[in-house]
Amino acid sequence: MSRAIKRIAHEIQEHNGDLANLVLIGIVRRGVYLAERLARALPTGGIAQIPVGTLDISSYRDDSRADGGGPQLLGRHVPFSLDGKKVVLVDDVLYTGRTVRAALDAIADLGRPESVQLAVLVDRGERELPIRADYVGKNIHAAIGQRVYVRVEEVDGLDAVVMGELRQTV
Amino acid sequence: MRLPKHDLVSIEDFSQAEIERIFVLADQFSAALESGEKCTLAHGLIMATLFYEPSTRTRLSFESAMHRLGGSVISSADMHASSAAKGESLADTVRVVSAYADLIVLRHPRDGAARVAAEYAACPLFNAGDGSREHPSQTLCDLYILRKRKGRLKGLTIAICGDLKFGRTVHSLIYALARFGANIVAVPQAGMEVPEYVLERIAVERNYCFSTVSISELSSLAGDGGLDALYLTPSAPHQMALFTSDLPLAKIPSGEAPAALDAFYVTRLQRERLPDKGAGAEAYVHFDARALKTTRTQAAVVMHPLPRTDELAYELDADPRAAYFEQAAAGVPVRMALIAWLLEQASQRAARTPIAPEAPRFSPQPAVRCANVNCITRHESAYLTPRFTLARNPDRSRLMLRCDFCERELGAEFVGHVRTHRYYRFDDNLRGYVRQWIEEGSLAVFETVKQAEESGYEPYRRGPQREIMNAAGISRTLDDLAGQIIAGTADPGNMVIAGIFSRGTILAMRLRELIEARTSVRPPCISIDVYSGSDPLRMVDGGDEIDISGRTVVLIDDVINTGWTVQRAMALLWQRGRPAAASLAVLIDRGHHAIPIRPNYVGKNIPTVRSERVLVRLDSSPADAHRKSSDRVVIYSILDSMKEPAVAQ
Repeated sequence: MSRAIKRIAHEIQEHNGDLANLVLIGIVRRGVYLAERLARALPTGGIAQIPVGTLDISSYRDDSRADGGGPQLLGRHVPFSLDGKKVVLVDDVLYTGRTVRAALDAIADLGRPESVQLAVLVDRGERELPIRADYVGKNIHAAIGQRVYVRVEEVDGLDAVVMGELRQTV
Repeated sequence: MRLPKHDLVSIEDFSQAEIERIFVLADQFSAALESGEKCTLAHGLIMATLFYEPSTRTRLSFESAMHRLGGSVISSADMHASSAAKGESLADTVRVVSAYADLIVLRHPRDGAARVAAEYAACPLFNAGDGSREHPSQTLCDLYILRKRKGRLKGLTIAICGDLKFGRTVHSLIYALARFGANIVAVPQAGMEVPEYVLERIAVERNYCFSTVSISELSSLAGDGGLDALYLTPSAPHQMALFTSDLPLAKIPSGEAPAALDAFYVTRLQRERLPDKGAGAEAYVHFDARALKTTRTQAAVVMHPLPRTDELAYELDADPRAAYFEQAAAGVPVRMALIAWLLEQASQRAARTPIAPEAPRFSPQPAVRCANVNCITRHESAYLTPRFTLARNPDRSRLMLRCDFCERELGAEFVGHVRTHRYYRFDDNLRGYVRQWIEEGSLAVFETVKQAEESGYEPYRRGPQREIMNAAGISRTLDDLAGQIIAGTADPGNMVIAGIFSRGTILAMRLRELIEARTSVRPPCISIDVYSGSDPLRMVDGGDEIDISGRTVVLIDDVINTGWTVQRAMALLWQRGRPAAASLAVLIDRGHHAIPIRPNYVGKNIPTVRSERVLVRLDSSPADAHRKSSDRVVIYSILDSMKEPAVAQ
């Protein structure tokens, strides 16, 4: 996992060149820890650490049971301006794309960034929306119904990506 | 007697002389209240209090003031339970209520609401707080107590601490203190700094000057690292400094910063205005007796707009320097003075001298949306036309507009002229023309080139164009796209086609014909106008909007560039329901994607350089296959407005 983060950091650097205008936004909860690790892995040119903001977007367990418009913005903490910035949105798993879509709405409301790039640790495919990540740690092909979990040390005590069956709770 | 139409929307609506006069009146009323003297000044007048947000002390002190003056009060304490819940607009409500009352007091959760209400109310209107903007009557109380305690305002040094972003009393106070020539030391909670537009305004209007200090300089001042702060240096006679809350107050450097503080103004954390309610509270300012023990702070009075939460220790209450209960008590005499001042004006023959020349206001066509999601113009769009004044440019490549209601600024890269229907990439050389167009009412403003094109504008000057697709090519490509869409969609019967207005809609209708020919399913077709303020979605066949929940939506656009248009289109769709899936089909993918949205189906990839435009020209009658001869896709480059055309090819 730390290899994957290092590689993503390297790609971000390669793609953006000057990092002075770069900000990271992690999606709560594991995306935030990944964003913070990415910020540490990126060179700062001696100025300050790359700013990290957070978006809290409700996840959902079961598509058919959720109502309303799907994942929704619960909260945000972005204590800096996004105008003219290159924003890298960070999440642990990219699946249907719905969370990212909600995050893009939140970012559009917050300001006018020059660009938004998406970095995910795991892309498990099965997209339902026209969303694609710019930086992917690992592609995993998981069957529908199977769950992919990212564990991070800050929350779970260890770094790991695990796959499991979805237990139907009827 | 009718009260003159002098609204109090912002503290800026009153001149310094008028504020001084209100203070004299407030002194008289304080004395009268003390001695139990009866007053009948406002006998026969009715004040209406309209509160769209809960408030105890502001409403009660206004109502008490009116009763003390012998007037009467009609009230709707909870507007959300009454007319607003029935969907009545703010404009209609205040128009109706101004027929019932001589004076309206309004509190509203949206930024700029008081400005709107004042324009529609026939009687004078007092702003008792609008969103995160101003609360001028509170500011008058603050200034009144400060002046009473210190004997003056000019040259005082006031530290303002805590939430300086959402705290509306603070913005009013900063403007007013700057006007009276006080020094301001801002000590914001991290992430709750004074908003740009407030700083900008006092910089321009009051000659306050800012500069930044590097982290290392600050660290040496503060003693420990990790600070992230702005430091504003003096520009005589004013001085202003901004520090973060991490900086110990005792360590404010003695060289540049004030030798002694005259007052601390502590604000409450506006928890209800934080997007994630409650977060950020852990580290909020806590102010106790220790802060008053240093030589620099021993003469400082402590003020707070109340209610307090944890930021003021109760141990301070007994200290003679605590002025916050006095502030609250001043609420009644100061508001009595406000009403009495209006009565004084009514009996005066001479017109009020205008405070400052007004900046020209304008409403560009097509309508430009204010960038502030809480702006009143975004919530009462049925009758409110967004209106702007010109703001200063931070860079030469964008025209800055300031919302006339909420003061939020936004930058536009493209401007146009409504009669010639030409658009220009803004640069500073155009500023003179822009001013002229504002005066003529002929300025158009566009967020993107795409919006300019969709509005029927042509570039002022374009380079040579080349055709990359003719009618037959477009027809072949659409045929291919239809095949891709059918192959990619599991159940065509569940499909909804959504075209992004205008060319996307035309393509969507053509694609629907092609899909129907192959599958004999005729999917419903929606048109999404992402730049329209109201009513952005409609069915192309007319009729009621269908429920998109559970459907597979195929979005169609002619050209994908940055992707923001598609993001907006999806946001609009998601407001209506929850599609099972959405995919995106485009005729041309020209690259330059700025967000992680990628089309699922692409007619043709055409790499371009950024200054080039891809323009799809379509015959708008999809039914007539024989008249498609004018269909084509061309590429041209936009040339800078004021430069000579570069030689292309």
